[in-house]
Amino acid sequence: MSDESGAKVPSIVIHSTRFGDLEVPAASVIEFPSGLIGFPKATKFVMFDHKPPFSWLHSAEDPSLAFVVVDGFEFAPEFTLKPPYGDRDSDLQEGDEYAILVIVTVRPDPKQTTANLKAPLFVNLKNRKGVQVIYDNPKFSTRFSLWVEPAEGEEKKAEPTAPAGADLKDKK
Amino acid sequence: MLILTRKPGESLYIGDVKVTIVELKGHQIRIGIDAPPEIRIYREEIYVQILEENKKAAEAATSTSSGLEGLPANWKPRVSGPSAVGSGSGDDAAPKKPSMSGLAAFSTSHGVQGAGSDGDVKGGSSPQVIVKRKRKKSDE
Repeated sequence: MSDESGAKVPSIVIHSTRFGDLEVPAASVIEFPSGLIGFPKATKFVMFDHKPPFSWLHSAEDPSLAFVVVDGFEFAPEFTLKPPYGDRDSDLQEGDEYAILVIVTVRPDPKQTTANLKAPLFVNLKNRKGVQVIYDNPKFSTRFSLWVEPAEGEEKKAEPTAPAGADLKDKK
Repeated sequence: MLILTRKPGESLYIGDVKVTIVELKGHQIRIGIDAPPEIRIYREEIYVQILEENKKAAEAATSTSSGLEGLPANWKPRVSGPSAVGSGSGDDAAPKKPSMSGLAAFSTSHGVQGAGSDGDVKGGSSPQVIVKRKRKKSDE
């Protein structure tokens, strides 16, 4: 691979049952040293676009393991979390920039698409290392419904999301 | 499983982690834990809930009938879309941090085609990244 100036960029190939083989810059790998909860061996991922605003978080090691994620900052201001400063996996320190990825559970019926606000992934942007953090707070649901009725007719601005201060709790 | 008997006020160590029986209260036992910050402590039921949701999310994401493909074109989720991130809503409660877009290995204008579709995946907004899609044997 090469960048825009033509310089060689080290790349790796990840295998995917869904997308075939993908060549990506080696530096784009995101590492979760402890894996994700339930997937302790899944430590290396790459991220790329899905249907906006969703992204794929695809395992760099397991061709059949992928998650759909959405930016956690999309849920602000209701979804304000204390980052896991001092965490060993991500080495996230106060002042570091980070991303929050929220795992989405897609179901055959899109109306049932939910986001897991209780256990977001924090990624330290300095070293691209991350960790899944559980927030033991009843305000945050593991199944926060993302569905709103689509706007009719012409493209409208998205309806305001939950009213400010509303709980991000949701029906099961 | 190792089973030890302790009285209220007594402790035990698991590595660097000190576990103290604080109080007996009928059917409930209050436990105190002194652990380094990097040790993650969860109630079992919450841990299991997250584990199951992670597994469900992974299964759903990789199954061929992912519901996102069938979404109406004009549908918008309850979140507001990537453009809103970092735009500074002026809300003090919202932390102003970079969005996750910097994490992407590459970006396409309309996502990556599913397996079985033809053609290379072209770099959209980050043209410096070339993504080659190699053919699988099963595609031939």
